[in-house]
Amino acid sequence: MSQHQSNNPWHGTERELAAMTRDLDDLHHDVSQPAMRDGLDAVVHALHEATPRSTSRRNFLRGAGVGVLGGVAALAVPSLAGATARGRGAGARGAERPAAFPPAGLSGDLAVAAVAASLENLAVFAYTAGIGAATAGKLGSVPPAVVTFATTARSQHTEHAAAWNAVLRDHHRARVTEVNPTLAPVVKSDFASVHDVVGLAKLALTLETIAAETYQAQISRLVSPAAVALAASIEPVEMQHVAILYYVLGEYPGAQNAAGVPLAFSSTAKAQ
Amino acid sequence: MTIDPGALAELLEESQDLQADALRPTREALDELVELHRADGDGTNDDGLANATFHDEHQRAVSASLAGATLLGAAGGAVLAGVLANSAAAASSRDVQVLQTAASIENLAVMTYETALTLPYIGGSSANPVIKTFARVTMGQHREHAAAFNAALFNLHARAQGKPDPAFVPVVNRAVASLQGASATAGALGVVGLALELENIAAETYVRDTVLVASRSNRALLASIMGVESQHVAVLLAVQALLQAGAPQLIALSPSTAAALPGVAGRVGFPNAFYPTTSAAPASQGALR
Repeated sequence: MSQHQSNNPWHGTERELAAMTRDLDDLHHDVSQPAMRDGLDAVVHALHEATPRSTSRRNFLRGAGVGVLGGVAALAVPSLAGATARGRGAGARGAERPAAFPPAGLSGDLAVAAVAASLENLAVFAYTAGIGAATAGKLGSVPPAVVTFATTARSQHTEHAAAWNAVLRDHHRARVTEVNPTLAPVVKSDFASVHDVVGLAKLALTLETIAAETYQAQISRLVSPAAVALAASIEPVEMQHVAILYYVLGEYPGAQNAAGVPLAFSSTAKAQ
Repeated sequence: MTIDPGALAELLEESQDLQADALRPTREALDELVELHRADGDGTNDDGLANATFHDEHQRAVSASLAGATLLGAAGGAVLAGVLANSAAAASSRDVQVLQTAASIENLAVMTYETALTLPYIGGSSANPVIKTFARVTMGQHREHAAAFNAALFNLHARAQGKPDPAFVPVVNRAVASLQGASATAGALGVVGLALELENIAAETYVRDTVLVASRSNRALLASIMGVESQHVAVLLAVQALLQAGAPQLIALSPSTAAALPGVAGRVGFPNAFYPTTSAAPASQGALR
């Protein structure tokens, strides 16, 4: 992978900062992951008690699908904007969407879990593709911070997907290993037009924003307290990804509107 | 990076308009909250032990973060024990407790940033423009958060919380006092460490509170704020790392600057895959009696 090494004023302190980051990683593995496993046990129990919501599957699809596409369009990337316009036509995207997703038999919070896993899988796919393209030299010079961001974010999205799949598994449901079928064609198409780090970062920013806003929207709709807790533990992390991506792009590092104006309240417009 | 003050002012004005628009759905949600709250049971409970434990832990955490910059001596936990003693019975319902505590945390954050901006290396002409802008914008956001929580309380016919979180006021005051003689670098690190601690407490508290509140509209309100606080944490973690590494010139908003960042800077802002709640403030800590 091509990385900027010259003019790096951090030569003398990189080791120190790397050690600090290792400490954080250790802390994460010591504290965060065991806590997460405990949390997942609670999710499993609570979901057994949760009342399925008959409309949740459609609502979530609307949130993570058509509404999400609206969010993608906000980046004004022509291909995505076109896809969004088509998507808003009656049933226009239905032909591209597999008939049964979330899988049959899932409703309520479990349907949310399935769609959440598929969104996380899509993020993992996108970062993997981005890292692969960077490694192959297709994105030009790639700053080391971008490489680290992508690998770390991918790892966290993998953990998020595993968490939702653990919920499904413990309810004797099949794991969701596919990427979100509604968004995948659009993301794949858009990725084909990514030729540099800026393009990759913007695509990642779109996906992270979609994920964060979708979780935010679902937090007030989920039934099980444990499912709420799981979604609430993930949304802020996606928002942190968003902030750092803005920083990498040289823009204000926080929630903002399309004009770059900072927002005190994060939106769910792209998730509904 | 250079920031055009005129353009920034214009952006902030536009932000205010947008926030007003954004608050409309929140107000609708707050109306729903009123209805939902009336159906709630009384969630009164005694969180005195939790408060005390929280206080002790965070007293140590804040002191430790500031001690790293040699700015603050250890502040005795006993100072705050008396303040906390009266909060134990302060509650009329869980949602009111949560909202009043949240407002108190926001008030504390506003107070802290207001004070920080009076320091030359944060709000003065010599300050890093990114840090200065971040502090100003973030202070305004916390003010809006406090207003939103108090609006929710108003609709519940509960008293607004206009004071800062009592558990941290003495700590912040001592920290600020100790900053007066600090060098610019040490002072900036101290402010960042203090702000980081407060922002993380806010984020963790709201993450935890999404489960505690009875009303879905309150849940939505908390969810719309916790991610913003977590972003403040991410930025402060990055800024802290750059300051500690002696690379303040990389605290800049420019793609070319980003290209010079070392690899670890790409991950220092989000150390956890799942946001923890171990530092969450007890729900009744900032509740009114």
